[in-house]
Amino acid sequence: MGNSETLAPDSPLALRVSSLRHTYADGRAALNDLSFSIKAGECVAIVGPNGAGKTTLFLRLCGVLPGQLGQIAIADLDPANAAQRKKLPETVGVVFQNPDDQLFSPTVAEDVAFGPLNLGLDANTARTRVEEALDAVGLPHAGERVPFQLSGGEKRRAALAGVLAMRPSVFLLDEPTMFLDPRGRRELIGLIRSLPATKLIATHDLDLVLDCCRRVLILDNGQLVADGETETLLADATLMQQHGLEVPYRLRSPTRD
Amino acid sequence: MTLALRHRAVPVSPLSRWDARWKLAALLTACAGLVSLRHSAPTACGFAAAMALVLLARLPWPLVRRWFAILASAVLPFLIVLPFTIEAAGPGLDLGPFHASERGLIVAATLALRCFAVGAIALVLVGSAPVHHTLAAAHRLGVPGVLVRLALLAYRYAFLLAEELHRLRIALRIRGFRARMNTRSYRTLGHVTGALLVRGSDRAEHVSEAMRCRGFDGSFHSLTGFRTSIADVLSFLAMLAGTITVILWDRS
Repeated sequence: MGNSETLAPDSPLALRVSSLRHTYADGRAALNDLSFSIKAGECVAIVGPNGAGKTTLFLRLCGVLPGQLGQIAIADLDPANAAQRKKLPETVGVVFQNPDDQLFSPTVAEDVAFGPLNLGLDANTARTRVEEALDAVGLPHAGERVPFQLSGGEKRRAALAGVLAMRPSVFLLDEPTMFLDPRGRRELIGLIRSLPATKLIATHDLDLVLDCCRRVLILDNGQLVADGETETLLADATLMQQHGLEVPYRLRSPTRD
Repeated sequence: MTLALRHRAVPVSPLSRWDARWKLAALLTACAGLVSLRHSAPTACGFAAAMALVLLARLPWPLVRRWFAILASAVLPFLIVLPFTIEAAGPGLDLGPFHASERGLIVAATLALRCFAVGAIALVLVGSAPVHHTLAAAHRLGVPGVLVRLALLAYRYAFLLAEELHRLRIALRIRGFRARMNTRSYRTLGHVTGALLVRGSDRAEHVSEAMRCRGFDGSFHSLTGFRTSIADVLSFLAMLAGTITVILWDRS
C-alpha cells in the first residue's frame, strides 16, 4: 500500500466532526450523528454506496450547506460561522465530481487564477501561482486553452490546479478518478499522493483507496459504520457486502473466486 | 468529440493588437453613430468603413458570409414590406399589381446598410479579441462586474449546452424519433427542452457551489492586463473623427 504518511501521535487535528447531522428539505436524514477526526497530513478515504451522504458531508465541510455551530472544525474554522466561513477558501480546497462544474472561466489560466484573485492577490502573484499550479498538475502549456477543448483527465487536473493555486492545507476530493481512463487515473493518483496537505477523498474507487489512504471511513445511510485501517476494513467481506461495497480484487484471497 | 459550436482562434491583425478598451470604446461609438444615420449616402459610407474594418481584422470569409446571411434573413422582411408601404402613391416601380415606391426602396436599402454595418462592427468586436479580453475591457470601461461575469459564464456554458443538446438529439434519433407536425413530436421536444432547463439549473447550482468554495464574493477579477500605446489612442481618435464626420454629413 502506497501512502507513506508518518504522523506523530500528537499531530494537530486538521478536521474534527462532532455529532454532525444534516436533513434534506424534504425531511430525509442525509447525515446522522457523524463523529470523527483527522490529523494534519493524513490521507483518509470516505467510501460508501450511492446516497450514503459523502457529497453532502463535503458540502457541509466546505460551508456550502448551512449547519449548526460547533459540529465541524476544519483548520480551526467552523463553516457554520459566517465570519469564519469566509476564510475557508484559503485553507480548504474542494475538487468536485464533475470538473465542468468547476472550470467556469473562458481559459484554463483565468480559471486557475480565479481563487487567488478572490483571495486578494495581485495579478502578478496570481500569474505566478497559476504557472506553479499548472506545472504541478502536468499542464504547463494549457493556460490559454479553453476548458471544453480539454480531455477528461486534463479537465480533472485543471480543476485540481485551480484549487492548488490557493495553497489550502486541507483537500476535499470528491470522486477524483471518475470517468478517467487508466492512464489518466494513474497520473491523478500520482498527483494526489504527492500533495503534502491533509486529504479527505470520497470515492468508489477502492484501488485508489488502497494506493493512497492508510485509513478509511465507511459511510452508509448517513451514518459512520466503520473507521479504521484501509486494508483491514476493505478486506472484511461481510462488512463490505452489508454496506453495498465489495472487497477490492487485490485483497481477495485466491480461494474466494 | 464533436461540438455543435466551435471556439475560434483570433487571427493576428492590426485590430487584434489594438488595446481592447480603446477598441471597444471606438467601435461602440461607431455603432452609436451608424444607428443615428438617416440618409443613404452617409449610411453607405459607414457600411464601407465597417467592411474595411472587417478586412483589417482578417476574419475568415466563411464566418463573415455566415454572419451576413443571418443578418440578411433578419432584414429581409423589411426589404420586402417597406417599398410597398412607404409613400405608396409616389414615383417608383410597377411590379404587376404592386407598386414599389422609390422612397420606400431608398428607406429599405438604408435600413439594410445600417443593419449590415452595425453587424459588421459587432463581428469585428467579437472576432478580433478573445471574449474574456473584450469583457475585461468592458469592465474597465465601467460595465458592472456582475454583468461581465454573467456574460463570461454564458459564453463558457453555451458550448456545454450545445453538446448536451447534441447528445439528446442523438438519443432521440437512435430510438427512432423523427420530428413531425404532431402532438407527440411537440410533447417530445417539450420534454427535451425541459430536460435541458433542469440540467442547466442543476449545473448552475453546482457552479455556484464551486465558485463559493473558491472565495467568490461577487466581485469581478481578471488576469487580463492592458497597456495603452500611442497607436491605440490615435486609432480611437481616428474612429471618433470619422464617426463625427459621417454624422455631420448626414445632418447637413
